[in-house]
Amino acid sequence: MTYVVQRLLTFPLILLGVSIVVFFSIRLIPGDAITAMLGTEAGLLTPNQRAALASYFGIDKPVPTQYLHWLAGLFHGDLGISVIYGKPVIGVILERFPLTLELALLSMLIALVVGVPLGVLAATRSERPSDLVVRLFAMLGQSTPNFVVGLVFIFVLSVFFGRVPTMGTFTPLFVDPGDNLGQLIFPAITLGFAFAASVTRISRSAMLDVLGDDYVRTARSKGASARRVVWRHALPNALIPVVTLSGVEFGYLLGGAVIVEQVFALPGLGRLVLDAITQRDYPLVEGAVLFIALNFLVVNLLVDLAYVALDPRIRLGAR
Amino acid sequence: MQVLRALLLHRSGRIGALIIVVYLGLAVLGALGLTPHNPLQPFPISRLKPPSANFWMGTDLLGRDTFSRLMVGIGESFVVAFASVAVAAGAGILIGLFAAWWGNLWDGILMRVMDVLLAFPAILLALLIIAIVGPGTPTSIAAIAIVYTPIFARVVRGPALSLKQRDFVDAARTFGSSQGYILSRHLLLNLVAPLTVQVTLALAWALLTEAGLSFLGLGSQPPSPSLGLMLADSRNLMQHAPWLMIFPGLAIMLGILGFNLTGDALRDILDPRTQRRSA
Amino acid sequence: MIMKTGETTMHWTKSRKLFAAALSLALLAPAAALPAEAATLRLAWAQDATGLDPQKQTAFSSLRLLELIYEPLVQLDPKLNVVPGVASSWQFAPDAKTLTFKLNPKAKFSSGAQVTSADVKASFTRILDEKTSAAARSNFLSIDSMETPDPETIVFHLKTADAPILVAMASVNAAILPESEIEAGTIGTKAIGSGPFKLDSWDPNSKEVLSANPDWAGGKTGVDGITISVLPDETAILASLRAGQTDFALLNDPLVATLVQQEPSLQLNREPGLAYNVLQLNPAHKPMDNLKVRQAISCAIDRQDVIDTALAGEGKVTGPLTMPAFAEDPNSLFCYKQDLTKAKELMKEAGVHGFTATVIAATGEPPYASAEAQVLQNQLAAIGIKLNIQMMELNVYVDRWLKGDFDLAVAQNGGRPDPYPMYNRYFMKNGNLLKVSNYTDDELDGLLRQGQAETDPAKRVEIFHKFEQHLAEMSPWVWLSTSYGYTAQLKTVEGFEPSPTGTLFSLAHVTLQQ
Repeated sequence: MTYVVQRLLTFPLILLGVSIVVFFSIRLIPGDAITAMLGTEAGLLTPNQRAALASYFGIDKPVPTQYLHWLAGLFHGDLGISVIYGKPVIGVILERFPLTLELALLSMLIALVVGVPLGVLAATRSERPSDLVVRLFAMLGQSTPNFVVGLVFIFVLSVFFGRVPTMGTFTPLFVDPGDNLGQLIFPAITLGFAFAASVTRISRSAMLDVLGDDYVRTARSKGASARRVVWRHALPNALIPVVTLSGVEFGYLLGGAVIVEQVFALPGLGRLVLDAITQRDYPLVEGAVLFIALNFLVVNLLVDLAYVALDPRIRLGAR
Repeated sequence: MQVLRALLLHRSGRIGALIIVVYLGLAVLGALGLTPHNPLQPFPISRLKPPSANFWMGTDLLGRDTFSRLMVGIGESFVVAFASVAVAAGAGILIGLFAAWWGNLWDGILMRVMDVLLAFPAILLALLIIAIVGPGTPTSIAAIAIVYTPIFARVVRGPALSLKQRDFVDAARTFGSSQGYILSRHLLLNLVAPLTVQVTLALAWALLTEAGLSFLGLGSQPPSPSLGLMLADSRNLMQHAPWLMIFPGLAIMLGILGFNLTGDALRDILDPRTQRRSA
Repeated sequence: MIMKTGETTMHWTKSRKLFAAALSLALLAPAAALPAEAATLRLAWAQDATGLDPQKQTAFSSLRLLELIYEPLVQLDPKLNVVPGVASSWQFAPDAKTLTFKLNPKAKFSSGAQVTSADVKASFTRILDEKTSAAARSNFLSIDSMETPDPETIVFHLKTADAPILVAMASVNAAILPESEIEAGTIGTKAIGSGPFKLDSWDPNSKEVLSANPDWAGGKTGVDGITISVLPDETAILASLRAGQTDFALLNDPLVATLVQQEPSLQLNREPGLAYNVLQLNPAHKPMDNLKVRQAISCAIDRQDVIDTALAGEGKVTGPLTMPAFAEDPNSLFCYKQDLTKAKELMKEAGVHGFTATVIAATGEPPYASAEAQVLQNQLAAIGIKLNIQMMELNVYVDRWLKGDFDLAVAQNGGRPDPYPMYNRYFMKNGNLLKVSNYTDDELDGLLRQGQAETDPAKRVEIFHKFEQHLAEMSPWVWLSTSYGYTAQLKTVEGFEPSPTGTLFSLAHVTLQQ
């Protein structure tokens, strides 16, 4: 318990660091909200016009002053107003989050459902043809850039099936499950492909390790059936690294899948941040990155706790 | 040398090593300009030609030979991948070791800084860095390296911390070995296995990230191609000229396969646990 | 959830209806199109609008969206003739210093209020107010005062003779806004205009929903509404068109556009645009300060080859004047046929034996920017110029471009239906963007001034031809090509008429066939 409290205590510190990095680095990028809005026409502005716009976008004061102002707002739960959306940043983020969360969960589900059985299969048939096929699949998944997978999906669907997922918008699950799934299934497979490949690899190697351990040999010598040994004795232990890997990967996915969202035109967190950066919507970039970082920290804490729950031999704090 | 021999005796390690050697060979030839055609010269008459005896892998939109560009691209991609992983591993190992060795306050500070970097969404961190400095090979290397540094730091710090408590390090200390010697000799030797795995993963990841950055227009700069840039450039030509996607895609895949096979083999060879088991 | 701009209740029932339709769509067989929704045009584009204030927005997509919602006093038809907008007629005084408009008595805002001369006056007062930061303010600086003798008449008194001001008014950047909304300070958050459609909702970078404005003076629109989806990857747009899930789309990439032609169910509309692709030399940087070096560069470039190679043949060689009423045969311009011997001679005369320079270009803006830079790099290598290409994000590029911080720049600059507003900013002695072009001379300045004051169309063409000849010879920039504006549509969409300005205003008259 003290461990959890200790970890939680570091969160504000880390988030503060993240906020400082993002706040100052985003302002180092040449161009600002004014050039983002007007493009080359910004050159036609008179100094007075420019000043008026700068004050409108809240970028007229020195950066440290802006930061303190922003930090003060943060303590009141106010992340500021998005330039693009013209409404509170937190609202914009929470609108995009369900999609990202669902996509991450769905990809993880696909990865586990496909990856674990394949990994176990490959481990139990080590060095036989089925093992090689599985390993080849895993290799393929891990080495194909996901924009290629996504683009090929869209191409094949539109040419051979005459239908593509609804793009551009997002139908929440509770509004229309069918529509929702139709939209997310292909992006989820695209993400899940690489994810499943990692899961396959790690569960295969974990399983191989465990199968070589003494207690499994003991179980085997006691006459337990091969299947029982694999599923009852070996698998639970082999799952530990799988849980860790999936958790960390899930944490990354909660930050949004920029490229897949771009290809499938999904309004998720990743594209939100990308658009916010290209349009120099500083408050939105700051809020969204902070939100993503917080998610990541929480997920990682949960992963560590799950790790302990699965393997009592591990003492927390040593990690 | 011993390791190298073991690698060549290892079944899949041999294949991995072969792939890497072939790639390095192609890259060196490409860098020396020994390509079948000029990889950079646009040639309008031969635009988008399918693979043929003259152009083994076809030509691109500007009429340049895909195979020649692939040779140069492999070099470019390898430079980005190896350099970024080398920087990340170097910095990460140092940070992880110092954090573990000095402990307490330093440990806290260094690892929190790593946490900050880790909590940043990776591709966005890279995006920010590139947006600030401007794209290009050095920037790609730096961006990918910074993203991967905290992972190496973490990989090193954990085991280093537990090794620090072990008897043989204490023994070395009482025998008066200098700190630097203890650090490098004992700790690193014991870290070789987990690091090798991490390096292989990182190399594969770096290749893919470079491709992703190129997709967003932030990777290598024209006219010299990287595999990722070639792949990204091919996306609107998927229908016109599928070879533009297939060959760079295969090249990336094979390259990553090479890294993975070699890495797995090295782990088998170096990891004391697997040695024990196979013995 | 979505930025609401209509009355809340209306919006609510509408979304309920959409929900019901979506539900029935899910329950029934997945048909490609639903008859009940047939009157809604599904439009897709890769880049979304960036804001709703018509006087401040300059981004291509913003203009295309706002042109459907707001109307200026006058419009340009697809042949670039000035035609009625909010105003039904207009009259220039012979000295070109007074301009009188009669407003269309049927013109109404989507709020139902009449468009009056007070609204026009308030709109132009807002443009001229520096605090507004209106994009087109510099085009209207000649306005001295405005007079509203009655609700349907507005008179502009000008400080100097200014013939191009009429064309400048034919832009959504000079849209007429309701005086009440200006006073309430809600321009940019609520979109109330007198155009054919009104904006029901906008979820930036994702979706817009437009519905027909029943009060539009132009009559009944052909469709009941338009939904716009933002699909950032144009390959995805093509896939969506192919699957019949999008009716109409805006395309930028010539490579994607050429694929449209191969699809039997699709139609590609290809319209030469006013924008021009150009290699900007920076005469403030050595050795481009040397006229001979600049001319050598111009002579060394094979413009048709750039088009064939980088633009997949999708473009036309052009001089500085891209508008049909002014354009002349580019072959009459200085060194428009590649002439390497002359180029090398000029370099020798300049005493420059090759040099290294950096050319900047924006990633994906236009889509072929990188290819163009690479072809130019290769062509200039022939006269010993080594170009380094620096690609950068659009916004970073704009920042450097505005500061004049480049040796050479591959650019696609916007065109205007009239040469004066198109080039005065770059090449007049008091031009706002002189820092970008870093070039002007007495002749250019004088010709632009003459062109501004002259009202006789034939004489204006003559003046601007001289301007063009001189500009091409001084070669501060190397004009390369005009490219096409592309829209792709299902063949069930009827009646769309593309325009060189890129406007989608004609969607007001489009019908959907079932």
